[in-house]
Amino acid sequence: MELTREIYWNIGSGAATLIPMYLLLLAATCVFAWGGWQRIKVFRLGREVQRFDDLPRRFTRAIFQVMAQVRVMRVVGAGTAHGLFFWGFFLLFVGTCLIVLQADFTDPLFGIVFLKGRFYLLYSLVLDISGAVAIIMLAGLFVRRYFLKPEGLETRREDAVIHALLMVILLTGFVIEGARMAVTEVGTDLALWSPVGLLFAKALSGIGESSQRNLHVGLWWLHLLLALSFIAMLPFTKLRHILTTSANYIFVDHGPKGGLVTLDMEDEEAESFGAASLGDLTWKDIFDADACTLCKRCQDRCPAHATDKPLSPMKMINQLQEIAFATPEASLAETVGKDEIWSCTTCRACQEICPAVIEHVPKFVDLRRNLVLMEGEFPGEEVMTAVDNTEVNGNPLGLSFAGRGDWAEELGLKPLSDDPEVDLLYFVGCYASFDKRNIKIAKSFVTLCQAAGLKVGILGKEEKCCGEPVRKLGNEYLYQSLASENIERIQDYGVKQIVTTCPHCFNTLGKDYADLGLDVPVEHYTVFLDRLLDKGQLKLGTPQSFTCTYHDSCYLGRYNDIYDAPRRLLKLAGGSVAEMSKNREESFCCGAGGGRILVEEKLGTRISETRAGMAAETGSPLLVSSCPFCMTMFEDGIKGAGYEETLQPKDITEILVERLPVA
Amino acid sequence: MKILVCIKQVPDMESRFKLNAKGTWYNDQDLAWRMNEYDEFAVEQAIQLREQLGEAEVVVLSVGPDRVKEAMKKALAMGADRGVHIQDEASYEKDPFQIASAIAAYAGDQSFDAIFTGMQSQDRGSAQVGVLLAGMLGLPAVTTIVSFEFDNGTATVRRELEGGLKAQVKLAFPALLTCQLGLNTPRYPTLPNIMKSKKKELVSIPVADLLKVEAVTVTDTIRFPEKKGGGLVLEGDIAEITEQLVSILKEKTTVLK
Repeated sequence: MELTREIYWNIGSGAATLIPMYLLLLAATCVFAWGGWQRIKVFRLGREVQRFDDLPRRFTRAIFQVMAQVRVMRVVGAGTAHGLFFWGFFLLFVGTCLIVLQADFTDPLFGIVFLKGRFYLLYSLVLDISGAVAIIMLAGLFVRRYFLKPEGLETRREDAVIHALLMVILLTGFVIEGARMAVTEVGTDLALWSPVGLLFAKALSGIGESSQRNLHVGLWWLHLLLALSFIAMLPFTKLRHILTTSANYIFVDHGPKGGLVTLDMEDEEAESFGAASLGDLTWKDIFDADACTLCKRCQDRCPAHATDKPLSPMKMINQLQEIAFATPEASLAETVGKDEIWSCTTCRACQEICPAVIEHVPKFVDLRRNLVLMEGEFPGEEVMTAVDNTEVNGNPLGLSFAGRGDWAEELGLKPLSDDPEVDLLYFVGCYASFDKRNIKIAKSFVTLCQAAGLKVGILGKEEKCCGEPVRKLGNEYLYQSLASENIERIQDYGVKQIVTTCPHCFNTLGKDYADLGLDVPVEHYTVFLDRLLDKGQLKLGTPQSFTCTYHDSCYLGRYNDIYDAPRRLLKLAGGSVAEMSKNREESFCCGAGGGRILVEEKLGTRISETRAGMAAETGSPLLVSSCPFCMTMFEDGIKGAGYEETLQPKDITEILVERLPVA
Repeated sequence: MKILVCIKQVPDMESRFKLNAKGTWYNDQDLAWRMNEYDEFAVEQAIQLREQLGEAEVVVLSVGPDRVKEAMKKALAMGADRGVHIQDEASYEKDPFQIASAIAAYAGDQSFDAIFTGMQSQDRGSAQVGVLLAGMLGLPAVTTIVSFEFDNGTATVRRELEGGLKAQVKLAFPALLTCQLGLNTPRYPTLPNIMKSKKKELVSIPVADLLKVEAVTVTDTIRFPEKKGGGLVLEGDIAEITEQLVSILKEKTTVLK
C-alpha cells in the first residue's frame, strides 16, 4: 500500500469545501488584522526610539530565542512546560501548513505530492507525538493555574478561554484523526506511525463507519472554526504574546546592558523631561506594556515586593497597559503610585528574567525623571539633603570635598594634579572615600596594587560622585554636570586605565559616561585583580582555607555579567563559597541600588536584613561582597537582623590583602 | 507688589576652614559654597507670596565677589524674577552696618513692599544686616519668623522667642522680615526653571557706587574655639556604670544634692 493519505478524505476537496473554508480564513484574518491595527495605533502614540537598526542581527537573534525558547525555559517547571507545549503546537502548525501547501497548491497546480513515503511516516509520527506532548503540557499548566495556584499568579477569564480553546483544538485533532484511521487505517502498518491517533481510532471502533464518518466531518469543521478563532483572537487576548514577545526579541535594546537614555540637557525646545503621561513614553514602552503575559517572574524576584513594599514590576507594566488602552489621559505617576516608583532599587532582577524582554528599569527611571526634573519631588527630605550635598560637595554624605583624598595620604598616594604619571587611575567613589568602613576597601585595594608593583593615582579632591545614585533617582541634570566634570578631569590627565572598587562607579564610568565622551577602559577591581593574579604580577602567600558566602552585587552581576572573577579570587585566597539560594543572575539586591542608599526605607521590612538572613542560612561566618554600597547595607542589615555574633560582612579586597605574603 | 530678598553665599559648614593671612576671616581656598540656609527660607517665602498674589516681582540681591552669582542663580532657579549683584571682592571685610548701608543705597528708591532676609548668616552670624536695613529704610521689622500668612495687605507672622515660646505679630506692609528654620521647606529647582533662570536679568553694581560710609565695627582677629576636654565614656556592665555615674554626679555636680 502507498504510504500516504487522502488529505480531504470524507470532506471533499471541491469548491463546496474550499470556498467556505477560505472565506472563513479570510474573515479570521480580517479580524486579526483589524485587532492588530487597533493595537499598533496605540503603540504609535509613543515617542520615537530606534529599534529597527541592524535588522539581520535582530531577526537572527529573535528567531533563535523564539525557537529555542531560551528565556522562557530558564524557569524550570512552568517554563519547561511552556517550551515543550510551544514546540508541540509549533510542529502541529507547521504540519497543518504542509497539508495546505500540498492539498491546495502544489498538488492541484503542479501535481507535486510530498506527503508520502518515508517522509509521510516521519511526518505522522512527529505530529502525533507533538499533539500528545502539547496536551500533556497544557494539562500540567492547567493544574498549576487552577489547582496548585502559585502565589501571585493572577488568573483572568481569558486564561480559561485560552486553556479551553487550545485543549479542544488539540483533542478534536486527535478525534478527527482517530475517526479517519478507524475507517481507513486500523489494521495496517501505517497506523502504527500514529500511535496516539490509533488509540483514538480504537476507542471509536465500536460506533460503526457511518457514525465515524459523521463524527469526522462534523469535528473537522469545528476544528477548523476553532483554529481560525485562535487566529482571530490573537490581538484581543493574552495569545498575542506569540507575536508581541517574538517581536520584542527583535526590538531588544542593542546598547550596553542596563543603559538609560542620556537626555539632551542643552535641548532648548524640550519642554518636559521624563514620563508624565502616555505620550512621554516611547512606542517600545507601550509595546512592552502590551507584551506582558502576567507570568509574575519579575514580581517573584523583586526585592521591594519581597519585603512588603507596594511595588510589583508586573503591576507597573500592567498599569501602563491600562493607561495606554483605556485611560490615555491618566497621569502615569498617580496611576503607578509614587511609593511604588520610589521603591525600585533598579536591581534589574525583573528585566533579567522577563521572558518577554520587557524593559522595566528605564520606565521607573523615566517616571522618576519627571518627578524630579519637572516637579522637584523626591521620596523624602533626607534625599533632598543628599542631592543638595552632592551638588555642593560632590558627595551625598555632605562631607567636605577637600577631604576626599585624605584616606590615601598614609599610603603615599598622590592626586593626579600633583603627579599624573601613573599606571592606573583608581576612581574611588564617595563611600570608599568618606565612609570609615569602606575606606578599608580603598586602602586594601591600593595595597594590593602596590604589592603588584603598580603606581596608583587618584583624583583626590577633584573627584566627584560619579552621579549614579542621583541619576537613578531621576536627577539626570545633576548626573550630567557631575559626569562632565569627572570626564574633563580624567581627560586632562591623559588617563589610560581606570579601576573602581564600586560596581556603581564601574557601570557608570564604563558605560554611561561613553555617551558623554569618556573613552578610557574601565574595570572593576575583581576583574582587574583576577588578571594580575593570573599573570603572576600579583602574588598571594599560602592560601588559608575559610568558608564564606558571596553576594553578587546587581551592578557587577546582572548589569555586567561578572560572576566568576570574584569567585575565582575567593578560591585563590583559600575560600570555599557556600552559595545562597539566590545567587548570580538570581541574586537578591542589598537594597542600595537606584539611589535607595540615600533613602530611608520606611515601607515594609528592610531588604538588607532579608538578604543578611539568606546569608545566615548558609551557615558561613562571612558575607563577602565586592561593593561599598552592599557593604554599607550589610553592616546595618546584619545588625538589624541580629546576626552580628555569627555573620561578618567583608569585601574581597580585605580578604586578599590579608593573604599578601609578609614582606 | 515688589519683593526684595537679600541672600548671602556662605561656605558649606562641613568645609575645612583655615584662617586667612591677616587672621581676620577664613581663607576662601578649598571651600564649597552654597546659599546661606536661612536665606533659602527667605527666597522660598518670597516666591510663595508671589504665587499667592499672582502678580508680584521677586528681586534677589547679594553682596560679594563674582562667585556669589552662583547662589543668586539658585534663587533665580527657585523662581526669583531678577537679580542684583553688588560686586565687592572684599565684602568679608565689611561690617554689617556697611553691608546694610550698601543694600539700603540700592533699595532706597525702589519702594519694595516686602523685604525678606535670613535670620542670620551661617558664617558671620551677626544677625544685624536685616534689622539695620529696616532701620535705614524706615521699615518695621520682625525677626526670626517661623510662619507667614498674608491677607489683604497685612502679614500675620509667628516669631520664635526664647524657651520655645512663640509670638504672633500682625503687621502692615511695607515691612522687613528675617526668616528662621521651620518657616518652610525650600523647593528643589525644576529643570525648566533652571533653564529659564539662565536667561533672567542679573545686573552687577560695583559696591563703590553704593557704599559711602565707614565701618562702625572692625574685626580685630578671629580664632578657632579652644579644644576643651572631651566627654567621658563609661564602660562596663549596667550596674557598674550606673554606680560610676551616680558618684560622678555626686562629686562633680550639684544635681543630686
